[in-house]
Amino acid sequence: MDRTKILVVDDNPSIRKGLSVRLRANGYEVLFAEDAISATAALVTERPDLVILDLGLPAGDGFVVMERLHNHDRLAHIPVIVLTGRELAGNRDRALQAGAAAFFQKPVEDGTLLFAIRKALDVSRGELRFDE
Amino acid sequence: MTEPTRRTSELTAYLSHELRNALACIHQFGNILVDGLAGELSGEQREYVRIMLENASKIRKVLDSALAETPDQLEESTNKIGRVSKLET
Repeated sequence: MDRTKILVVDDNPSIRKGLSVRLRANGYEVLFAEDAISATAALVTERPDLVILDLGLPAGDGFVVMERLHNHDRLAHIPVIVLTGRELAGNRDRALQAGAAAFFQKPVEDGTLLFAIRKALDVSRGELRFDE
Repeated sequence: MTEPTRRTSELTAYLSHELRNALACIHQFGNILVDGLAGELSGEQREYVRIMLENASKIRKVLDSALAETPDQLEESTNKIGRVSKLET
């Protein structure tokens, strides 16, 4: 069985590295993108099972990536977890309204993030409803 | 929005982004070390990394509290600190 593929989109290389170590240790395959353009390209070519998305990105922000994803028939089902350094006001509600499965400010506890990933994957695979 | 409030809002956004990313790196790699994902640590090494993580958590609480204020509140708090400093000198 193929391993679950997670696309990490963040312009900070240390954040990408730290997340990859943690996610790989939990059995996930990890892909990277560092800006909105390469994130959109990776979504189309790699078809990840889930995206961990920063909001402050070069070449467009995380909201642009979410808009492109949700406007694409074959990608719209991919769950997005927003992990950002931006402030809550004006970003959390907007991200959730744009379709994010969860919103976290950095730094997030590893257990919290891993739980949200499992839950978002279960929901996208139809094994769980959002309200469970 | 007044000019000082706008500047405070921009400063808040900048501080949130820069400090949260730096804290996230300390938090991520500290926990990677403590959890043995980069090799086992000695008891002493583990204790030192835990101290680093505890202090990173304290900084995070201060940051959460400070940045939870609206730009208007933050400007008022900053002005109060300025008034207290002038009284003390």
